[in-house]
Amino acid sequence: MNTKLLFPHRFKKIGWMLLVPSLALGFLLTFYNPEQEFLRINAFTIYSSGFLSEGSKFFGFTKVDYSATLVGLLIIISATLVAFSKEKSEDEFIAKIRLESLLWAVYVNNAVLLFCTLFFFDFEFLLVLEFNTFTVLLIFIIRFNYILYKTNKAIAHEKQA
Amino acid sequence: MKNKLKVERAIKNITQEELAAKIGVTRQAINSIELNKYVPSTVLALKLSEYFGKTVNELFILEETD
Repeated sequence: MNTKLLFPHRFKKIGWMLLVPSLALGFLLTFYNPEQEFLRINAFTIYSSGFLSEGSKFFGFTKVDYSATLVGLLIIISATLVAFSKEKSEDEFIAKIRLESLLWAVYVNNAVLLFCTLFFFDFEFLLVLEFNTFTVLLIFIIRFNYILYKTNKAIAHEKQA
Repeated sequence: MKNKLKVERAIKNITQEELAAKIGVTRQAINSIELNKYVPSTVLALKLSEYFGKTVNELFILEETD
């Protein structure tokens, strides 16, 4: 695996420090649904149907609550850093685990999506899509780190023997 | 595929960690190869063969199922 495609190892820590609070914020925004909007601003849009505000427009400005956008950005950036930063030591074996975990994550994610497509509709399905945007990377992060943990444990066991 | 890595390592009296450092791979890689959980690349096999002074065929042995 070409490790040039990965971020330096130190970005992993930065990623974790951003990912945990932004995930918490994301859950709060989605389920707690604060009545007060924190960040209502005029944002540039490529296309807005004006469903909840003015008429539709291409390449114009529209008034939106920007907090969801910010949290979304934070999750995407931090999850990417956590997922694709180099490990302390890299070699072909780590690369293999990484690629395997990526395939595994896409399979699991699609299985969940398939299930949710069948059993969630309308607004709830929109929510499913919202979550699905981030779950591929999250599942990947969990699976990749779990396998690393397991192989590390095997080594610790070997040392005792 | 079987391998004689563990035996050769014992002869040289070298730990997995030391071997990994000498070859330039992770300890996990050496451990997984010994446990037959991971088949190394040709490059890594050649590096191991060079280090132990054995041919790749002596270190790694094909099985019926391969």
